[in-house]
Amino acid sequence: MNPEPTPDAPGPLPGDHAPPLWPHTLLAPGLAGAAVLSALAAPPLVGVGLALFAGAICIGSALTLARRVRRGERELHELDVRLLHSQKLAAIGELSSGIAHEINNPLAIITQEIDLARELFGQDACPAPEDLADIKDCLDQVGKQVARCCQITHKLLNFARKMEPVLQEEALEQVIEDMAVLVEREAAGRGVAIRRDYDQSLPPVRTDVPLLRQVILNLLTNAMHATPEGGTITLATCRQNGRAVIEVRDTGCGIPPENLPKVFDPFFTTKEPGKGTGLGLSLSHGIVARLGGNLTAQSAVGKGSVFTVSLPL
Amino acid sequence: MGLRVLAVDDEADFIETLVKRFTYRQIPVTAAGNGPDALALLERESFDVVILDMRMPGMDGLAVLQEIKKRHPLVEVIILTGHASVESGMQGMSLGAYDYVLKPVDFGELLEKAKKAYERKKLNESRADA
Repeated sequence: MNPEPTPDAPGPLPGDHAPPLWPHTLLAPGLAGAAVLSALAAPPLVGVGLALFAGAICIGSALTLARRVRRGERELHELDVRLLHSQKLAAIGELSSGIAHEINNPLAIITQEIDLARELFGQDACPAPEDLADIKDCLDQVGKQVARCCQITHKLLNFARKMEPVLQEEALEQVIEDMAVLVEREAAGRGVAIRRDYDQSLPPVRTDVPLLRQVILNLLTNAMHATPEGGTITLATCRQNGRAVIEVRDTGCGIPPENLPKVFDPFFTTKEPGKGTGLGLSLSHGIVARLGGNLTAQSAVGKGSVFTVSLPL
Repeated sequence: MGLRVLAVDDEADFIETLVKRFTYRQIPVTAAGNGPDALALLERESFDVVILDMRMPGMDGLAVLQEIKKRHPLVEVIILTGHASVESGMQGMSLGAYDYVLKPVDFGELLEKAKKAYERKKLNESRADA
């Protein structure tokens, strides 16, 4: 018998090829089983020794596997971070090639016009009177193209500013209700009721309304998907410590405690592959932060979850 | 106020009513029967708020919304839809729609939303100029 059935190197492994699994799935259980079986037939003292040996094999194998799982998780997390980064870079790349293309055309025209004007000015820098009108045309064209460039940069600035929230006063109840109506029919089809518990005395909030709608729709959709037939989603608003608070409560399956800290992580999803991007809650979390608020989650498995948005008043 | 509305829907009757009602309130409104027409109009004239039907033959509402936001990021879009699809609602809102409204819509409510959307556009513009 081999004394050490799990010869896995604990040090750094080549990243591209995972070590084989058969020592853990076949060799270790086989050896342990053989040791236990022979312990039955052997004299008591040898039997204890063999049982201890079987235990050692199992522990060794389990430790090695646990190490591999942990390393895998770490790699996955790094991959997520890198993916997010590369998506950002791709977006920037697309944007800048677009700008370059848009600006290059007017620049090409400006270059041509300036060349032509220089030629018309002639060697002694004194244009013939009949060329003056052409030179004026050149200058006009240059002016027009500069205006075009201004328009492009202006649009871009608008686009960049578009990313910042635009604050408007709006009744919170109205913002929530718009999205609730949208979800209600589908929820009713699934046998899920939507209850309202709005605080009527809540003053209007100053916030970016479309962004907040996006968050609420996302929370509502999640709640609907988590809630089985006969369940209820409750939409509530209230005032707490000088902030406006929105709660989306469901009587759904709940989130296991080990998953709760991860729900706002990008790409974290418990849906089947292809069903969810794992981006909804992380986007919502980012939006609420941009609005100066907090998005938090509480949950009890089997009882349901509460997502709470708190916004400045 | 200077709100200018572009209404896009393939249902001629619906759009006719909409145009009448906006006109009655003395809000300039232009109608387009499909996405490409709407985009062409947006190139030629300036509008503040587009009221856009989700389901249209050819180019659907989401595609039109995407084009509008690409070419005229400041123009606000209110999506109208006949059937509540949460999925397309999510897409619409994340593509930058101002609101997503179920048909049949109360005109007063729609007008209120259009005014709010206009206010948002003005806020955005004043910041762009600052």
